[in-house]
Amino acid sequence: MVKMDDLKNIAPELSKLKKENPYGTPDNYFDNFSARLQVKLEAEKRTIPEKQNRIIRILKPALGLAASFALIFMLVYWPLKSFMPNNVASNTEELEMNELDYLSIVEGIDENSFYALLDEPSNSVEFSDEDLISYVNTNVSEYEIYLATHY
Amino acid sequence: MYNDDRGLIADLKQENKRDLAFHTLVNKYRERLYWHIRKIVINHEDADDVLQNTFIKVWKSVGNFRGESSLYTWLYRIATNESLTFINSNKKRHFVPMNDVSEYMMNNLMSDPYFEGDKIQLKLQEAILRLPEKQRLVFNMKYFDEMKYDDMSKVLDTSVGALKASFHHAVKKVEEYLKREINEM
Repeated sequence: MVKMDDLKNIAPELSKLKKENPYGTPDNYFDNFSARLQVKLEAEKRTIPEKQNRIIRILKPALGLAASFALIFMLVYWPLKSFMPNNVASNTEELEMNELDYLSIVEGIDENSFYALLDEPSNSVEFSDEDLISYVNTNVSEYEIYLATHY
Repeated sequence: MYNDDRGLIADLKQENKRDLAFHTLVNKYRERLYWHIRKIVINHEDADDVLQNTFIKVWKSVGNFRGESSLYTWLYRIATNESLTFINSNKKRHFVPMNDVSEYMMNNLMSDPYFEGDKIQLKLQEAILRLPEKQRLVFNMKYFDEMKYDDMSKVLDTSVGALKASFHHAVKKVEEYLKREINEM
């Protein structure tokens, strides 16, 4: 739209002015600039690891707390785990195995053989009167027999 | 040592040659970028800060420079963005209302001990400072730096047509201000 040659027509006052830079700088500014920039650049390079350190510094209390919990965990939970849970684990394993065994046995028996097993004479416990008296004498008191016979 | 910017860019991307290449880049572009920044922020001390920040940004992001534009327009772009960021953060810091920006910049101009122009040059700078931000950038880049519209388009991320229109409006406003001020002198 505006060519520099047309400036005279569009802006006569502006085109009358000598095109010059009105700003100045301190002496030797550009000669010293590179050295000053280098100092700032070195400082900038150092801020990157410092930033990482700052993050660690902020997280330090939290890290200390986490380390304490880890220590307590190691001191308390680890010995407990070494002794207690083994027993618990083996017990549960046993229970699980027994239950499984029982289920497999029950599943393996058909209805007829189940009743046959109940009716089998060898399964009925036979005991003599002496056995019964000695069992009662050792396991039941006289007072219990008295109560059982009177109610 | 470097005949063109391509060799310079290649070395900037190599770890072992980076320091030397960067030193060359700073020496080659520091003055041009300084004057570009100075015309935006006005004050010398501010221009010095922004120029240093510009080169630090260049150092940090040179690995991402893909060479789609020339090194020169890429550097101008960073310098422009850094300058505008600096002005905006300063405005916020000094609680300057949006419509008083030119007054704030004018104070910067008046308080700058390194302004060496005469009375009429001061009037021209005042006229430029009264322009809206985009027009001010375009006017400075075209009138003083005589930058090509194509390059300016890459720096300011604006179409050539819009830049030409901005310059046209800027010239008219500057002319009006100068006419008024010269009549009163």
